[in-house]
Amino acid sequence: MNREAWSAVAETAKIAVEDPRSLVPGAPDLEPIVKTEDLWKVYRSGALDVPALRGVAMEVLPGEFVAIMGPSGCGKSTLLHVIGGLAQATRGRVLLDGNDLSEMTDAGRTKLRRHKVGFVFQRFNLLPTLDARGNIAIAQHIHGDGFDPHRFDVVTHMLGLAGRLRHRPAELSGGEQQRVAIARAIINEPKILLADEPTGNLDTKNSESVLHMLRQLNQQLGQTTILITHNPEAAAFAHRVLHMRDGQIVDSIPAD
Amino acid sequence: MIGELVWRNTLHRPLRTLVSIVAVGVEVSLILLIVGLTHGMLREVAKRIEGVGADIMVQPPSASMFLAFSGAPMPVSIGARIADLPHVKAVAPVLVQLSSSGGLDVVYGIDPSSFDAVSNGFVYLQGHRLESPDDVLVDDWYARARNLKAGDTLHLLGHNFHVAGVVEHGKGARVFVQLKTLAQLTGSPDKAALFYVKCDVPGQTALVSKEIGQLLPRYQIRPIREFLSLMTATNVPGLNTFVRSMIALAAAIGFLVIFLSMYTTIIERTRDIGILKSLGASKAYIVRALLGETALVCAAGIVTGILMSYGASLLMRELFPTLTILITPGWILRAMGLAIGAGLAGATYPAWLASRKDPVEALAYE
Ligand SMILES: Nc1ncnc2c1ncn2[C@@H]1O[C@H](COP(=O)(O)OP(=O)(O)O)[C@@H](O)[C@H]1O
Ligand SMILES: [Mg+2]
Repeated sequence: MNREAWSAVAETAKIAVEDPRSLVPGAPDLEPIVKTEDLWKVYRSGALDVPALRGVAMEVLPGEFVAIMGPSGCGKSTLLHVIGGLAQATRGRVLLDGNDLSEMTDAGRTKLRRHKVGFVFQRFNLLPTLDARGNIAIAQHIHGDGFDPHRFDVVTHMLGLAGRLRHRPAELSGGEQQRVAIARAIINEPKILLADEPTGNLDTKNSESVLHMLRQLNQQLGQTTILITHNPEAAAFAHRVLHMRDGQIVDSIPAD
Repeated sequence: MIGELVWRNTLHRPLRTLVSIVAVGVEVSLILLIVGLTHGMLREVAKRIEGVGADIMVQPPSASMFLAFSGAPMPVSIGARIADLPHVKAVAPVLVQLSSSGGLDVVYGIDPSSFDAVSNGFVYLQGHRLESPDDVLVDDWYARARNLKAGDTLHLLGHNFHVAGVVEHGKGARVFVQLKTLAQLTGSPDKAALFYVKCDVPGQTALVSKEIGQLLPRYQIRPIREFLSLMTATNVPGLNTFVRSMIALAAAIGFLVIFLSMYTTIIERTRDIGILKSLGASKAYIVRALLGETALVCAAGIVTGILMSYGASLLMRELFPTLTILITPGWILRAMGLAIGAGLAGATYPAWLASRKDPVEALAYE
């Protein structure tokens, strides 16, 4: 694409502030892959109720790359955990690819997570006893379709991991560990990738490479992604940025 | 894949894994050695009884199967009445006493001529037959273990005996003295604990048994063949309880060690469990991974235990030549089953706890 074409895309993005549907090329009538309605999460610590989410309503369309920004403690991680079925909402609804998580059992949410969600965390969360290959392959194993060598090769090459597969997490740099974690998250082609401050523990160079990869996955594989970040430069990689404060979404603007 | 995780996790804490393996090994070898020793001892006794060469054994009504514990309530004169029955070639009265000087040994009090008639006589490796009241015969194993030879003095049952001869092993006991002497020493004059009966024609055992039964109702009359098949640990009441207690103890060791090891494992690996859950692993998957690890440790422990048992039995054979340890395939299988069962039982609760961990809390675990 030439310079003009790029700026045309950027223009379109700026105009389409209200309707995220216009951001996904060629699919105006898509059903949202993630939809929350009046979502509440209240933690009980001692006699005190701590509301971490206070009526979050949001939608993410298939193929979208959405960033969520907000100050520490505003409920970003909690929102991601509830959307991904790791935690249960206190009130309200989460629809994930048409499934209502709030009505599911723990086993049901586990199964949904297995088939439709990929997580990437700030602290990588790789299994320390397995090498990079094992960390990625175990996700395929848990998924139940067994080891798919073709998918494995595509993903590991795309993330530049081909030469590092025999190393354990402790022998990998932070950037490499996070790339292994991303490979693990997308190896089963999840409907949605949830990344919670994936660059929070990385230096600038590695942060940028991780963000480029997330964008590449989104553009080339159509991977729907929700990215939590503190960093406005990271948010700039997304189609759209949601701002959170005190457990609520305060606005939704497209990135520039 | 779960196999690789199990394998890697097992290697992650080598010392803890090693301790668990050794504990399971101790469990397995405890079972094999206790059972092996008991069986070995019983088989040894059985073989020696068979070696006497009698066809029938007659015991008083309340006698224990296990010869060493038998009392002496039968008058020796009964022997003469049995000898008068048709087809009876010889009858040998025997008094049985347990000696605890330097190990447990069965001492037979015999009347040399009748015992020779039933058993076709001893094979003398040294010395001569029982002659004077203070004479004692020992078998070659006993002589080797105690470093005895003909002419030595042997202190037994509070009495100094003169070793008259060393005989080939395999005829009822390892130590033989005169029936009269043993009767005096134990305060049971003219009594016998059992009679060995020899028939004149081999095929007459059943007939003669029946005749003796009519002559001595309520007495225990057993063809030697039947007796041998009854000589198993589970048929000897006191021994049975002892063996079972030891097996239970061994299984308890395995259970507790695996429980503790798995309990610390799941706490240490809280975050790993959270990671597996974030990947969508079910409770069953997590339980399977942990039980798989336990099964691996048990398998290694079983191999260790079997090797330890054979090692120990070789060592025992060197140190105590008169002891026989009988390790049978059947009991190896049973010990394996017990070790796996106790291990999996010990791991079940920790695995269940792990499968129920809250994923978000587990992921936040430091
Ligand atoms: N397990 C918990 N128990 C009690 N309070 C919690 C728990 N987890 C999070 N919180 C609280 O919920 C709020 C939102 O937390 P979080 O979602 O982690 O925020 P963020 O990711 O935006 O920094 C914070 O006030 C935090 O203290
Ligand atoms: Mg957070």
